[in-house]
Parts: sequence; C-alpha cells; structure tokens
Amino acid sequence: MWPYLRVYKEFLRTSFAEATSYRLHFVLLIVMDNIFYLTSLLGVSFIFDHIHNIGPWDRAEFMFFIAFMLAVDHLHMTFVSENFWEFSYGIRIGVLDFILLKPLNAIFTIFFRLIRPATMFNFFIPLGTLIYFGLQLHLSVYSWLLVPFMLLLALTLQTSLEILMSMSMFWLVQADAVNFMRMQFQSLSRWPDFIYRYYARKFFTLAFPLLLIGSVPVKILLNLTEWKLASCSLLAIAVTWLLIAITWRRGLRSYESASS
Amino acid sequence: MFSAAKGIYFEWPKWWQTMKMQWSNMMAYKLNFIFMVLGPSLVYLFIKYNVWTAIYDLQGQSTIQGYTRSSMINYQLWVFVVGILAQGFNSMDLAIDIRLGRISSYLIYPFDFWQYHSSRFVAFQLMQTCVAIISTLIASATGLLSGLSLHNFLLGLFYCQFVSLFWFASQFLIGILAFWLDQTWVLRVMFLMTASFLSGSMIPLEIFPKGFAHLLNYSPFPYLTYVPTKVFMGAYPDSLKLALVNLLAWTVVLIGLSSVIWKRGIKLYTAAGM
Repeated sequence: MWPYLRVYKEFLRTSFAEATSYRLHFVLLIVMDNIFYLTSLLGVSFIFDHIHNIGPWDRAEFMFFIAFMLAVDHLHMTFVSENFWEFSYGIRIGVLDFILLKPLNAIFTIFFRLIRPATMFNFFIPLGTLIYFGLQLHLSVYSWLLVPFMLLLALTLQTSLEILMSMSMFWLVQADAVNFMRMQFQSLSRWPDFIYRYYARKFFTLAFPLLLIGSVPVKILLNLTEWKLASCSLLAIAVTWLLIAITWRRGLRSYESASS
Repeated sequence: MFSAAKGIYFEWPKWWQTMKMQWSNMMAYKLNFIFMVLGPSLVYLFIKYNVWTAIYDLQGQSTIQGYTRSSMINYQLWVFVVGILAQGFNSMDLAIDIRLGRISSYLIYPFDFWQYHSSRFVAFQLMQTCVAIISTLIASATGLLSGLSLHNFLLGLFYCQFVSLFWFASQFLIGILAFWLDQTWVLRVMFLMTASFLSGSMIPLEIFPKGFAHLLNYSPFPYLTYVPTKVFMGAYPDSLKLALVNLLAWTVVLIGLSSVIWKRGIKLYTAAGM
C-alpha cells in the first residue's frame, strides 16, 4: 500500500508540473468546467420554473441529486477521466508496453496516472451547491457525515464501470469511439433512475448498473432507512471488478504491442 | 470571397477526390462513425425522451409553456435530426495538422489548407444529410414523428445546410487557434456545451425565463437548433428570411475572423517535426 501512495504522490507532483506549464490551457479548463456546472444546474432549474415535482422529487431534492452528480463528476474529472484518453492512445501506439514492464499494478498506472489539477480548483461550485441544496432539505447530521462516503461509493462504481468499458479498446481499432460512448453513458447516469421507462431502468440497473451510481447514494442521504441499498452498489462494484479481471487478461492476450 | 468561389470552380476535381477520400475514411471505420457521430445524438435523444415523458407522465402535466407531451417529443426528435444534419463535424484533425506541423504540405501543394478541410466537410455533410433523411423516414414510418410535411421538411433541410456551415466556420476558427494553443479541444467543448444549452437543444426556448430568452436573440444560438427545429415542425412564428440573414451574418463574421487569424497564425508557424 505505501509504495503505491508514494507513487501516487509522484503522479500528483508531475501532473501539477505539467498543468502549470500551459497556463492558458489551465485557465480554459476551469472555465469549461464552470460552464458545464452552470448549464447542468440552470437546465433543471428552468424546467422547475414551470412544474413542482418530477416523479417523487421536488425542486430541492432534484437539484440536490444534480449537485451530488456534479460533485461525483468533479472528482472523476480531477482524478480519473484524463487516463481513459491516454489508455486508448497507449494501446494504439504501444506505450502500454512500458507500463506493463513496470513493477506496479498496470491497471493502477493506466487509470490513475494523470490528474487534472485545474479541475481540482473548481471544487467550491459542486461542493457549494451540494451544501446549499442539502441545507434546503434539512439533512440530518448523520446524512452529512455520510456524504463523503456516498461520493466515494458513487465515484468507485462509475470508475469501475468505465474501466470495464475501456477494456473493449483492446479489440477495437479506433478506441476513441469507446471514449465518446463512455461520455454518453456518463450523461445517462446524471439523471435519477425513476425518469427512465421500465425496460431502460431495468437494463441500466441490473445489466449495466449505471443508474446505481447516483440514485442509490442520494436515496440513502435523503432517507437513511434505505441504507441497505448500498449493498446493491457494493455488489455491482464487486461484479464489475471480476469482469475487469477477466477482460484484462483476455485483452492482454490479444494486445499486439504496436511499438515492438 | 469571390476568389474562393473561383477557386472551387476551377479546382473541382481536387475537391471531388478529397470528398471521395473522406467517404472512404468514414466507411473504413464504421463503428467509429456510429459511436462518434450517431451515438451521441442517439443517447442524447434517449435521455431527453425519458426526461420529458417522466415530467409529463409522472406529474400528470398536460402542457408546459404551450407544449403538450406529444409536441415536446416531436420537438426533441426534430432536435435530433438537426443535430445529425448540422453539428457532427469537428475540428480535431485540423488542430492536430497545425500542432504536428502537417500543414507544411498544404503550403507547398496546389490545394489550400482551407480547401482540403472544406471539401472534407462537404463530403461529411452529404453523408449526414442522407443519414438524417433516412432517420426521419424511419421515425415517421414507425409513428415516432408525427405531422411530417414535405414542404416543411425541405425548408428545414435547406436551412440546416446553413446551420452546418456556421458550425463548420466556428470549428475551423477554433481549430486554427492551434497556432497559439497547445490544445484546442477545451474551446471546442466549451462552445459545444454553451451552444447546446442556449440553442434550445435540451429545453425549448419558451421554457427559459422570458428576459433571458429575449437576450438570446442577439446571439447566434437560437438560429442553430431552436429555429430549424421549429421550421421542421412548421411552427416557426417569425420571418425565416430574417433568421437566415442573421445566421449568415454570424457565419460571415466567423469566416472573416478565421481569415485574419489564419494570416497572423501562419506568420508564427514553425513547422514542428520538419
């Protein structure tokens, strides 16, 4: 564990050094993230100017869900997202060879190597809106204490599902297409499960559990008696990692090492 | 502008060859084409269909700002068609060409950089128009899309060609900023997110606060999705000629800016990798 933490500290240091070399790009990333947060929140807010509820949730509950997903997205953008693009590039040009040779778990190096410091500085918007709507809902002390764990649960499930999707890059010539689809799946999970119709809801809860990412943690935070739902997310994470292990081994067998 | 038109006329065979090459590229990676061009629009439509049906069905709401459930679904389906017709092309290759020094070839060859990328855009646009027509016919035949009129469809199709020209001009402008920027994808995503929200792609402009929607008339955004969607639906209340003039004026501004930026950028160009 300690060697990995030391390596991760180095990953952080080099990512900061790289990010601050391109200052305009750094600032533009911050602006881009803020546009994303603003459009996500305003879109739902404008709809609620004309209606009182969507399904069982009113404006505050729905906005709390959106804020929660923005917070998850913020963590995902900061710590993981860049790596998926590098993975597709690495497979195509053979950089993966060098990662496989390193005395570290390759999945750790592939998916946690790059950090986006610019996004890190934007934490106050998703966190601020989460706190604002949480206060409107009068969340209990226990719910507030659970927020970091629920964010972590959601982030872990989202990252795991995306790593599983990325395994298909071993077999596809144009792996960028997988990244574009991965981003579309992110948009699917940014809405609560009850907005989807029966078959879509079943599919994205049981077969490819994208809807568990946000819906389970927010339902628990809004009503602590629903805590048992967390077991569904944990089970989904376990199954996803089992599938990652299988597809990773198979993927490596079919990897042709472009640089060799 | 006149010399550009003259260039297209006399160099038509080169344009044709580049277009054929673009079609071959697109068809060589079919999965890529589906995932990158059709996939996002389809997933976006799927989400919006679910969100709006949930709003109407779970709430028992009959109308929202004049939109019934079926007219809102119709609106979203036409937004999907507009998205396929006008917003698929991106400037990724263009920026990479500059960053990796590939534009050196265009400076020597008798086929300009803008001509090469414009001909690729024309090829892409023709392909997208076919995809949009097929999608509309399928949606109409399956009953998803109601009230399809040939007159409105042709009018919308005509208007969307100008929308796609605007998108191409904006993508070209963002792409050539690669003379100064290491990465231009951030600007592209920023513009896409802003346009997607302010053009009425997610929610119709009638649902926006009135003052805010009024302010948007002074920007190009409503002309990119809201206007063509309403034209397809046969429900655009204002003058289409005026909308077209506004859209063309914004496009000319973008082309002018691109021309200035290209001239300045090429002076800075160091031909990396040569």
